[in-house]
Amino acid sequence: MADNTIVKKFKVENQYGIHARPAALLVKAAGKYACEIFIEKDGNKVSCKSIMGLMTIEGYPGSIMEVSASGSDASDAMAEIEELFVNKFYED
Amino acid sequence: MAITVRRLLEEGADQLALTVVAGENYLDRKLQETAMNRPGLALTGFFQYFANQRLQIFGLAEFTYLKSLSHSEKLERLKGLFEQQIPGIVITRNRKASDDILKLAEEYKVPVLRSAMVTMNFVNECTVLLEKLTAPYMRIQGTTMEIMGIGVLLRGDPGIGKSETALALIERGYSLVSDDVTEIRQTSRGRIMCWASEVTRYHMEIRGLGIIHVPSLFGVAAIRRRTELDLVIDLKHPTGNEDRTGVQPESVVILGCEVPCITLPVGSGRDMANIVEVAALNQKLKELGHDAAKELDDKIINRLTNGRVRNG
Repeated sequence: MADNTIVKKFKVENQYGIHARPAALLVKAAGKYACEIFIEKDGNKVSCKSIMGLMTIEGYPGSIMEVSASGSDASDAMAEIEELFVNKFYED
Repeated sequence: MAITVRRLLEEGADQLALTVVAGENYLDRKLQETAMNRPGLALTGFFQYFANQRLQIFGLAEFTYLKSLSHSEKLERLKGLFEQQIPGIVITRNRKASDDILKLAEEYKVPVLRSAMVTMNFVNECTVLLEKLTAPYMRIQGTTMEIMGIGVLLRGDPGIGKSETALALIERGYSLVSDDVTEIRQTSRGRIMCWASEVTRYHMEIRGLGIIHVPSLFGVAAIRRRTELDLVIDLKHPTGNEDRTGVQPESVVILGCEVPCITLPVGSGRDMANIVEVAALNQKLKELGHDAAKELDDKIINRLTNGRVRNG
């Protein structure tokens, strides 16, 4: 792992959890950055740049997701992803 | 959009077996309505609600009725009809126009046509043709293909590879409708019909090759005269902002019709023909009521909100 790895935990707060639309938003946000970003839940770790991965992670409403970003632009990427979680993926 | 009697005659001479019998100089009269009128009631002298803007059809009934009148009565009734400033008359069943009609046509500057068809068939065919001729029509930039019965319009900036993609699709066995410039009109069913302009039909321009004639190179199976539009595909340079799931379908409005639309990023090494082919097939699936993206999303939402069980 790269030296500057940022790890943060977020709660899934929208009504339906991480279904296709939030997954697409996460992938779009992560895809803009060069850093590696992963999302982990209950030992299940997938790339935040993979739609199919995010849809299999079972981010049901209320669950806690651990996001880790490593690379030169990791903090910017993390800020954008945090924004999505905080704003409930602009749903509800 | 009103058309002239001349246009109807030009377009329908074969299909409607039309010829001019009188008033040849007045063919520029406009047909303000696409419907036709049987002037039977008007010939009895009743002109209330008379549809004088419409093409007047003289069939067996009108002729038989006129036959029952004395000559002076007949002339007077016909005169009454011509005075209504009708745009034109069509006589069906190839009946001969009486001298009175010929004379009145010149006097009132009304074109009189004749068709060999029986009235009912003429009215049916002529309605279809008039609707076609008066439908909203325009010319747009884009290449049209037919892929397994799905009409696909490829749009995008010049040089992005519309024609190259079309060529690759032709090699896969699909049919070219038009290259680069597509003429479209709205059908009476509210769909968009696409075809190529007469001059450049079935030709393509491929950068580096120049102009090619598709049916000569690939055979007549590689072309289609027209197709109904089912899907618009915009080819764009990648922006990173593309749709990743297809859960929220997009559409464009063309001539007032809503048509599903997909934006495809063109990247080096992407086989665009393959992707366009799959997009067309996916559209076909959607029209059959099977939306893969939505079904998967529903399945996930269902699991996320009800189940809350983890496997393992």
